[in-house]
Amino acid sequence: MDFSLNQEQEMFRGYVRKYLDSVGQTKTAREYIKGDRESLQSLQTGLAELGCCSINISENYGGMGLGALDLVPVLEETGRALLPGLYLETNALAVPLLEKFGTEEQKEKYLPNISNGTSFFSIAWLEPGGSYHPAGITFTAEIEKDQLNLNGVKTLVPDAELADHFIVLVRTSNGKDKDGISLLIIDRSEANLTMRAQKNMDETRQLAQLTCTNTEISMTQILGPLHQGWDALQEGLLSFNAALCAVIVGAMEKVVEMATEYAKIREQFGQPIGRFQAIKHRIVDMKMDLETARSLAYYANWALDSDAEDCIQAISCARLFATEAFARISDHNIQIHGGIGFTEEMDCHLYVKRARFYENYLGTTEQYYNQAAAALGWLDNKASKVLV
Amino acid sequence: MDFSFTPKEEEFRQELRTWLEENLPEGWIGGTREVYKDEYEKAAFLRSWQRKLYAGGWAAIAWPKKYGGREATLMEEIVYQQEMVKVKAPALVNYVGIHMVGPTLMQIGTEEQKLRYIEKILSGEEVWCQGYSEPNAGSDLSAVQTSAVKDGDRWIINGQKVWTSFGHVADRCFLIARTNHFEKKHKGITVFLLDMDQPGVETKPIIQMDGQHDFNEVYLNNAVAYDTEIVGEVDEGWRVMMALLMFERSGIGGQVFTLEQQFNELVAMTKDLKEDNEPLLDNPLIRKTMIDLYTRSRGSLLNYYRNLTKTLKNGRPGAEGSMDKLMVSELTKELLSKSISIQGHQGVLWKEDAISSNSYWQDNFLYSFGQTIGGGTSEIQKNTIAERILGLPKDMGR
Repeated sequence: MDFSLNQEQEMFRGYVRKYLDSVGQTKTAREYIKGDRESLQSLQTGLAELGCCSINISENYGGMGLGALDLVPVLEETGRALLPGLYLETNALAVPLLEKFGTEEQKEKYLPNISNGTSFFSIAWLEPGGSYHPAGITFTAEIEKDQLNLNGVKTLVPDAELADHFIVLVRTSNGKDKDGISLLIIDRSEANLTMRAQKNMDETRQLAQLTCTNTEISMTQILGPLHQGWDALQEGLLSFNAALCAVIVGAMEKVVEMATEYAKIREQFGQPIGRFQAIKHRIVDMKMDLETARSLAYYANWALDSDAEDCIQAISCARLFATEAFARISDHNIQIHGGIGFTEEMDCHLYVKRARFYENYLGTTEQYYNQAAAALGWLDNKASKVLV
Repeated sequence: MDFSFTPKEEEFRQELRTWLEENLPEGWIGGTREVYKDEYEKAAFLRSWQRKLYAGGWAAIAWPKKYGGREATLMEEIVYQQEMVKVKAPALVNYVGIHMVGPTLMQIGTEEQKLRYIEKILSGEEVWCQGYSEPNAGSDLSAVQTSAVKDGDRWIINGQKVWTSFGHVADRCFLIARTNHFEKKHKGITVFLLDMDQPGVETKPIIQMDGQHDFNEVYLNNAVAYDTEIVGEVDEGWRVMMALLMFERSGIGGQVFTLEQQFNELVAMTKDLKEDNEPLLDNPLIRKTMIDLYTRSRGSLLNYYRNLTKTLKNGRPGAEGSMDKLMVSELTKELLSKSISIQGHQGVLWKEDAISSNSYWQDNFLYSFGQTIGGGTSEIQKNTIAERILGLPKDMGR
């Protein structure tokens, strides 16, 4: 029995923490909100130099060939700092999809650049209406010999302006539900995309609506099986969600620290407010949420790495707990801080907003409840791996 | 990261499993259990069970070999708890003796005390109870008022204890009493090994809300203890009590595994019970509740394993045990509450009329209210977590 990250993993966390401390933790996120893109750029270079971008890429393509658990400490640190950008989407969604379903050409084209921190992926899934269900995919990619003709609108595309490539869910044939859906990589430099920025409550993340009108791209950009991209996506989402949980745990840890530190120094009635049980016990509730989220997240990543039998329920439960708990405790954090917690000046609200950004990100909480139920055999759904 | 048990640990599991199959009363495993005429019949049965455990070498596995234990590793203790929960083994009647008195005496008892008490603890010949709580000293144990006054080589003890488990059958009591009045309340307390069989000791049953009688009030009216029955130093009992916490290295493992078991039983019930010919589990509202319980009970088990890993690495348990206790007891209460709710109005049917066999859910539900109180209330656990783990200041009163 050993349920802990190993020494190397904790050591790596130490390097990343030290580096993010040196650039002021949430300072980068705040500068990003103000429109400054340079500090994020230099931070990403710094992280790449530490090796963060290459952890889970196989050695053939310039990576370290490590697993999900090795990514965990880095993800936690990015969550703690509320890092803007597409590190999570790139390393925890695009990389697993490319590694598992990419052609040799695609791997060579994309993985080395991800590994050295020069290319980032976004994902274009939702369309106006905002449904994650397969029926919501109406964006068409009509096959014309070796070309695809793209028409449609994607919405809430994360950090589109920072993305070099997009993984796009498209309809390549008029199948029922998930049949006929394919995954496609669109290179920003190759395709003529119309983008319109969408305002996001979480201003550390940019959103955009992306429109294609008769956009032509090569058939070789299909990622994974043609018409059967949905199931491939679900595999990628297992990695993504396990990783997302780690990001959230890092953010939650910071939230608990903020509340605890404030309760120690803020005095009312002649004593630190942390002496009052009404405050103290609420912070303990937050701590309990944090540690439970952490245990579930670490286990989910272990289950993913070791292909455990309960992998799917472990990941869905970790995800639904983490997203709900993050929203809950970042809300408590403002209450603990009182009036000052309501101001823009404090970081409290940034965590509330990030929590909301993640709550229904790439699948709603309700869907993850159902996914867990299906994996446990509590739903008559035939395909338990599928988001329902 | 590794969640497996070693071959040696699995071998240990198999040995225990075989022993349990051969030694539990016939029909116990998977059958009906705990149908006793009264608490004295129950106590007699539990005593005979402990004698069997003693004969098989399973009564105190963590004890040193020279005292009749197996020097079990922490992981073997975990396996032991898993297996005992699995077969719903009878309670250990001499829990206080084996987990508190024995280890304490081995560490700080006199040679004479070791010889006099330890073997009888193990065999169950002498059953022990714990004399800590008093009507005005519950969460705040340092407020004990029971007094012990020196009289030659004797101490005359007066006062009242409460919540004394198995007090009605115990032969001896691990008792704390005030022997001195210092400014700091936790100074001046002394631990006595009190003989329960004497005119100055009277026990009265406390009937619980589940109708059971596990606890007692103990009245001490000029009860007598001797110098030789003092553990450690006079006035230094608080240190004895604190040292004791270190022996409980496996924490609340038993409750964690019981929670896991009860969750699985609850799933089985939601599949069995039907509404309009549909299993309850097919109702989306109930299913959501069940996923939520699954998630958090898995979380509590995993939290426990993470803290266990820390204990294995540090060689001693830390304050994280409070987190396990808080989460598991609260969650158990919540799960049992749901178990009643989902039975509909029939959930109120009790005892022989209950729809669950042996009134299982009703009895456990009623019993669960004690779990967030006994062994330190949830509020006390939260203070401990806040102060010892998060470093928040203590309140003014302490």
